[in-house]
Amino acid sequence: MPGRIATVWRFRHFWLSLAGMDLRVRYRRSVLGIGWSLLNPIVMTVVFCVGFSTWTGNGDWRTAASFYLTGLAVWDFIKHSAVQGSLTFPRNEPYIRQSPIPLAVYTLRTSLGTAVHFGIALVVAVVAIGVLHPTDHFTSLYALWAVVPAACLLLLFCWAVSTLCAVANVYFHDTQHLAEVGLNIGFFLTPIIYAKERLVERGLGFVADVNPVVAFLDIIRDPLLTGAPSTTAAFVQAAGLTFVAVVAAVAVLARFERRLVFHL
Amino acid sequence: MSAMPIAIDLDDVHLRFRVRSATRVSLKEYLVRGLFRSASNPPVDVHALRGVSLHVDEGERLGIIGHNGAGKSTLLKVIAGVYPPTAGMCTINGRICSLFDLMVGFEMEASGWDNIRFRSYLQGETPRTIRGKVNGIAEFSELGRFLDVPLKYYSAGMLVRLAFSIASAADPEILLIDEALAAGDASFRAKARERITELKQAARLMVLVSHDLNALPDLCTAVAWMERGQVKMLGPCDEIIPAYRSSMARAAPVGAAA
Repeated sequence: MPGRIATVWRFRHFWLSLAGMDLRVRYRRSVLGIGWSLLNPIVMTVVFCVGFSTWTGNGDWRTAASFYLTGLAVWDFIKHSAVQGSLTFPRNEPYIRQSPIPLAVYTLRTSLGTAVHFGIALVVAVVAIGVLHPTDHFTSLYALWAVVPAACLLLLFCWAVSTLCAVANVYFHDTQHLAEVGLNIGFFLTPIIYAKERLVERGLGFVADVNPVVAFLDIIRDPLLTGAPSTTAAFVQAAGLTFVAVVAAVAVLARFERRLVFHL
Repeated sequence: MSAMPIAIDLDDVHLRFRVRSATRVSLKEYLVRGLFRSASNPPVDVHALRGVSLHVDEGERLGIIGHNGAGKSTLLKVIAGVYPPTAGMCTINGRICSLFDLMVGFEMEASGWDNIRFRSYLQGETPRTIRGKVNGIAEFSELGRFLDVPLKYYSAGMLVRLAFSIASAADPEILLIDEALAAGDASFRAKARERITELKQAARLMVLVSHDLNALPDLCTAVAWMERGQVKMLGPCDEIIPAYRSSMARAAPVGAAA
């Protein structure tokens, strides 16, 4: 295990440069370039504010907008990790067939790309909170320190999700489509555009309790919106989930890594 | 430089895997398999290598010959570490440079310069070590300003030039060559042959898959004849190559020479 990690680190220039190229290529021919990553959460937030803020009981549109932006940032990161992660090994098949480097290198390539977009969405959220709350411009900055470990946990969790989906997709090719359908349903079952309390009020509190995304929403959203870090219980829950996901990803890689090339 | 002597040691290596005629397995296949009817896309068991034992020491040049599908390229990939043996032991001591599948693994949206870096990093180079090599690779490829252009605009010949220039810039201890290297136009091919000769001299151990039976005695110190995943004969060139030739002559259908 330490040997594999050392090899992944030794090839860091390879996966870092490929992740950088993915970002450059993605926006090369667009007029707005990386501006699309800035615009996307803003447009979605406007749509939710206009269409749903009253219906979902989020009240004031300024508060609702901050709520949506932070929720969408976390949700999109997890969603793209699962969906794009599924395609990781077919996409990197030529490299896998040429060189016996650890497969974690390729899932890191995918995760880094999605992490950059998460970072952009997070910056948009922090700026928007400052602009939308003129009486307290710096609310989100007070507890920004608490967002850093939360974002690190989320990054590890998303790498694990990406790895698990990548291996699953090699053996069961419909993984990507199932993940897309499942996550589209999951979007409405997760308190992204409504508060967790709405589920509790309707007797559906257990949906939030069993949903692993909720812990990550709490530890990232709470400090940005309230200026105070989230509860210790939420952090412990997120850390536990991350640990389980990473152990599962490492175990799956150890079990399937050597034979996976025959199934591509 | 490795502390231990450069060597390849294969001991009773088997390689077995399953493939399907259709790469994708449908949902129906998953659901009804074995329940109501036999699978329409059943897995086929391939026993690609059957008990291969080889030992190649530093300074040796091993040629591998055999018909198509005999397991030559598979053996090369096992030595390179791409395919893990299903049984047996494969011990490699030395830094490997593989010259096969040159055309795969390019990022078509990236420029020639970027691809030089990606490929070099994949071969274990770092920004510091490739700094001195990048210009040499660019010069050898003779692609000039085309290196600024994304690879999707390259002709097949230009891609081969770039691929060969990058792959052959490595500093190998163990050199694995699949002879199916067709490097660009006539002038570049001559240059590529010269580079391969230099590499063969520089490498401390070489394994070469080849169909060129006339060239092998000049290049190799020993030859392994592969047939159906097994080493049928292993020994000096002047013993194995004539045996292989006469086997081919016996196997050739009547009138094949016409």
